[in-house]
Amino acid sequence: MEWIALLMFAVACGVLLIGYPVAFTLGGVALLFAGLGISLGAFQAAELLAMPSRLFGVMGNDTLVAVPLFVFMGVMLERSRIAEQLLDSMSLLFGQLRGGLGISVVLVGTLLAASTGIVGATVVTMGLLSLPTMLRRGYDPAVATGTICAAGTLGQVIPPSIILVLLGDVLSSAYQQAQLDMGIFATDTVSVGDLFVGALIPGLGLVALYLLYLCGLAIWKGERVPAIDTEDRARQLEQGWMKPLLTGLAPPLLLIIAVLGSIMTGIATPTEAASVGAIGASLMAAMKRAFGISQLREVCEETTRVTSMVFMILLGASAFSMVFNAYGGDELVEAMLHALPGGVFSAMLVVMLLMFLLGFILDFIEITFVVVPIVAPILLTMGLDPVWLGVMMAINLQTSFLTPPFGFALFYLRGVAPASIRTLDIYRGVMPFIVLQLFALGMLALWPGLATWLPGVVYGN
Amino acid sequence: MNTASGEPGGIAGLLEALNTLIGRAVSWLTLATVLIYFTVVVLRYGFDLGWIGLQESALYSHSMVFMLAAAWTLRSGGHVRVDIFYSRWSERRRACADLFGSLFLLLPFALFLFAASFNYVAVSWRLMETSAEPGGLPLVWLLKSLIIVMAAQLTIQALLEARRALAVLRGR
Repeated sequence: MEWIALLMFAVACGVLLIGYPVAFTLGGVALLFAGLGISLGAFQAAELLAMPSRLFGVMGNDTLVAVPLFVFMGVMLERSRIAEQLLDSMSLLFGQLRGGLGISVVLVGTLLAASTGIVGATVVTMGLLSLPTMLRRGYDPAVATGTICAAGTLGQVIPPSIILVLLGDVLSSAYQQAQLDMGIFATDTVSVGDLFVGALIPGLGLVALYLLYLCGLAIWKGERVPAIDTEDRARQLEQGWMKPLLTGLAPPLLLIIAVLGSIMTGIATPTEAASVGAIGASLMAAMKRAFGISQLREVCEETTRVTSMVFMILLGASAFSMVFNAYGGDELVEAMLHALPGGVFSAMLVVMLLMFLLGFILDFIEITFVVVPIVAPILLTMGLDPVWLGVMMAINLQTSFLTPPFGFALFYLRGVAPASIRTLDIYRGVMPFIVLQLFALGMLALWPGLATWLPGVVYGN
Repeated sequence: MNTASGEPGGIAGLLEALNTLIGRAVSWLTLATVLIYFTVVVLRYGFDLGWIGLQESALYSHSMVFMLAAAWTLRSGGHVRVDIFYSRWSERRRACADLFGSLFLLLPFALFLFAASFNYVAVSWRLMETSAEPGGLPLVWLLKSLIIVMAAQLTIQALLEARRALAVLRGR
């Protein structure tokens, strides 16, 4: 009766389109199929009683505490307008050059990586902050919207994004399970820190590719990415060079370097680094003196909503995968992937294509909790490296979010873009970035060392 | 019985206010989690001190946040939806989706969580279960009780959301 597991998956995707919150849709569909399974005698009701202890396991998971801490840091940077100021001062700084505004949008997107794990939020924030400025300065709408979509999703694959925290946690247990399945009991571990370090070179590589593309435009198609006008140039002259660098760029940059640095040098765990980051962001907000008790309350409430959302999806998804496995769905998927001609290469390719398509309806968090626990142990048993797998998945999904006509990022940007911008402009604008993404995926597939070399050097394994 | 603003009155209003109050109150615990964890870091790296109880209290406050605020998060629209269609629908159509989801997805799931965790929590209470770590907090029974409280809150919120959707469908 394994096929019922696949039916359940299809039904869940269908019901999700109704638009009820994902967390409870997954839980509800799982429960419906559990009832069916019990009445068909496919499994025992007692198997479902593991649910509370699973949930308790999540409550005791120290690594996942990094999620609210990073969210707190990100919301604090956003609400205290540090992010906005950063974009403003950087665009004045770089704006004197053709393409400079686009470059600063990409750099700010990179720096704000931690702020959020939800595609929508970053794209909307970046869209609201930078799209009007770019259009006012005469940027080609396609270039402007494409850059914002790409920069807004880029944050997910650059540490310390909460997506990498969640993916790292899921991969860590998948890796454990894969090794036990292979009969290895002295298991190797992979941690969130490993994934952070592994994602650094590919992530920064993507940033470099984006910047190269924008520089190319500036040189050969300068009229599509003009420099700032005289009015803005006057503002720039007035404020000089040092002030924006010191007050706008330096604090967030120091914060990110401190957080990442303490993880990479092995001084702190991601959770510890996240708490330091949250305190650092709060101090920066306090120094701006535009921050009172009511803003603090807003930050706390927003952090709470995002955290609860993430963990409820984890709860719904774990009910889902419990029932999926009770039907023998995991074994079915394993048999299907093993039966493919071409071995591990085609198994990986099929999984990547599947995730890419699922990215059209599901956000990163849902895919991490629903799909990765099913496929990752199988792929890891086939001998793939967990860090490489995680980075490939992350870049693959980011590409999916950019791809017309269903990409998440495009919908969200459409929502905040003025009516004068045609949807076709957005589609045209993201095309070059999709090519860059596919290029990066290809490079990473050819040279896994891009992801695995640095963790080996840093952690010496 | 709806008040002029369309918000529920009577018992329903009280329950809604309660879920909201709890959600907003535990929000402050995110700040507590940050401060506690930061203290753990300072103690460990500054003074070479480790205290399991303090680390566990960060876990406790984190768990209280995401569990006790789940119902309020639903009320305030914080749980992500796949809104490809939902965002383009009319108010009535959305109310249909919410009515269906509240009654046939969330309500059974919340009731299941409640029923499935009842014994699990009861055992913990009977033992007055403490932390498995030496020096840990003796409050594991209290932590596990969060599951039941959350299930109850979500059950109530599912009914409240269904009621609100019905009000929209009846044209208020």
